[in-house]
Amino acid sequence: MTFNLTAAGVFVALFGLVTWLGFVAARWRKADLNQLHEWGLGGRRFGTVVTWFLLGGDLYTAYTFIAVPALVYGAGAMGFFAVPYTILIYPILFLIFPRLWKIAHEKGHVTAADYVRDRFDSRYLALAVALTGILATMPYIALQLVGMEVVIGALGFPAGGFTGHIPLIIAFIILAAFTYTSGLRAPALIAVVKDMLIFVTIFAAIVIIPAKLGGYSAIFASVPQEKLLLAPPSGGSLGSYSAYITLALGSALALFLYPHSMTGILSASSGKVIRRNAAALSAYSFVLGLIALLGYMAIAAGVDKNPLYAAGFAQHGANFAVPALFLDSFSSWFVGVAFAAIAIGALVPAAIMSIACANLFTRNLYKEFWKPDCTDAEEARMAKIVSLVVKVGAVVFILAIPQAYAIQLQLLGGIWIIQLLPPILLGLFTRSFNAHALLLGWAAGTAIGTYMAASRGFVSSVYPLEIFGVTVPGYAALYSVLVNFLVAAALSPVINRLSRRGVPPLR
Amino acid sequence: MAGKDTKRGLVRHWPRFLLIIPFLLVVWVPFYNRIHPTLGDIPFFYWYQLAAILIGAGVAITVYLLEEWITPTTEQGSSDPDDGIDASGTPGDIL
Repeated sequence: MTFNLTAAGVFVALFGLVTWLGFVAARWRKADLNQLHEWGLGGRRFGTVVTWFLLGGDLYTAYTFIAVPALVYGAGAMGFFAVPYTILIYPILFLIFPRLWKIAHEKGHVTAADYVRDRFDSRYLALAVALTGILATMPYIALQLVGMEVVIGALGFPAGGFTGHIPLIIAFIILAAFTYTSGLRAPALIAVVKDMLIFVTIFAAIVIIPAKLGGYSAIFASVPQEKLLLAPPSGGSLGSYSAYITLALGSALALFLYPHSMTGILSASSGKVIRRNAAALSAYSFVLGLIALLGYMAIAAGVDKNPLYAAGFAQHGANFAVPALFLDSFSSWFVGVAFAAIAIGALVPAAIMSIACANLFTRNLYKEFWKPDCTDAEEARMAKIVSLVVKVGAVVFILAIPQAYAIQLQLLGGIWIIQLLPPILLGLFTRSFNAHALLLGWAAGTAIGTYMAASRGFVSSVYPLEIFGVTVPGYAALYSVLVNFLVAAALSPVINRLSRRGVPPLR
Repeated sequence: MAGKDTKRGLVRHWPRFLLIIPFLLVVWVPFYNRIHPTLGDIPFFYWYQLAAILIGAGVAITVYLLEEWITPTTEQGSSDPDDGIDASGTPGDIL
């Protein structure tokens, strides 16, 4: 691939701008950043607009922009499950999370595990929540790097060998530095720039590209018939239908359990801000739907047959579809804007994810088990250091381990994180669940979900469940969390009765 | 106690039942897994789901506005005494 000087120039300039923003963010709404809730939650003072940008920047990541169209490009209609998914997340956000915000605010909780610790009076259940969160988030951070690597490669920076990784390493050093100094304020401020760039790029894409390709009718006409719709049920199997909707529902239930979403929610200034955003964030959903269609535009533009992009497809597979489409359709300077949007789209969630992991580690492992008497300043310093360690880990992960493993781990991460649904959700609405029962449910759900993914060789999270002779392929996360819930519900009354008889609780 | 709270919660929060609408729109896959009717040559499967996003947004805005109209809240969070959370910040048993 040839080096694209104009595009790279625009890209570097925009990257420079957000670097500067990342550092000045430390002085935005100035407060003592040696307090964990100031560094790691922005002082819980983000209003409706900032929260909108922050959550949008947090949930719609670089990997989303690359992988969703890549899935539509490769698998057709099945990849569109991202749309019902994004429709289902907002009712969930509206109904559940203002309540969690209120409790967390009143009790000073910084993480979901803090809340569970307090609610169920069980440090081991909190430990399970914290570890699950950290483990599920690490590969997610690594995938943000994949998104960034794809666009850096597409700009024509020399690929391969150690020199090929230098741009990525520089980008992550910058990220680590401003996250360390500014905490959550940095991604909140940068998210504003990121979202504007994304919106400009997507609206240009949906206007310019169809015009070049002969309109939406020509785009859909060029898509192979069998990709346009889901395969209907046949031969005693519900086929794609059940897979489609369970993927959407399971992903929607899992989304806000991720530590980085939780951090975004807890940093809001009120429950009202969250409810308003449940409506306003739909603007992103619509953009995501349009982004998904870029996969079909890439098919119509025939980028996979263009020898210019053969090397990119060879290296990145279907993930190269969108960068190739942009290179094919836009003039150089706008390619720079579009790629900067994607790369900055990786920085924002990567920063929030590393902050969220750092909060979890510091509050629920370090303070809980090693240094219960640490001061606020020690706590904040520990979190800053952990945020660095997490990012170094993600870089090492992506450089040393094949990309496929990161994708498989992220898939497992979705199955693991949804197991937090019973402890977090049930605790908000009823007192009748027992901490030990929830812990056993969590263990059962995690084990069964992991087994289901393993039985598919870790390449798919859709498990063909047999129910009365009918095969119902569905998202393993949803099936396993059902087991989790049933175990917790069945054992809670039993264990509650035992503990009333004087069996000492596990502390 | 629980009964009274639940009843007042229903008065304040009845609009939340509307949030079932976005779910109903997408839950039955066979309904929208079809090409026709197309919208400007865009197959039904695609334009229907994109439209469902807009309806979902409309529902969420409506629920928000209805709740504010029934019980206005302050910027400092809920002034609603019946949201099932007692003064110590512990959630009550509303299920």
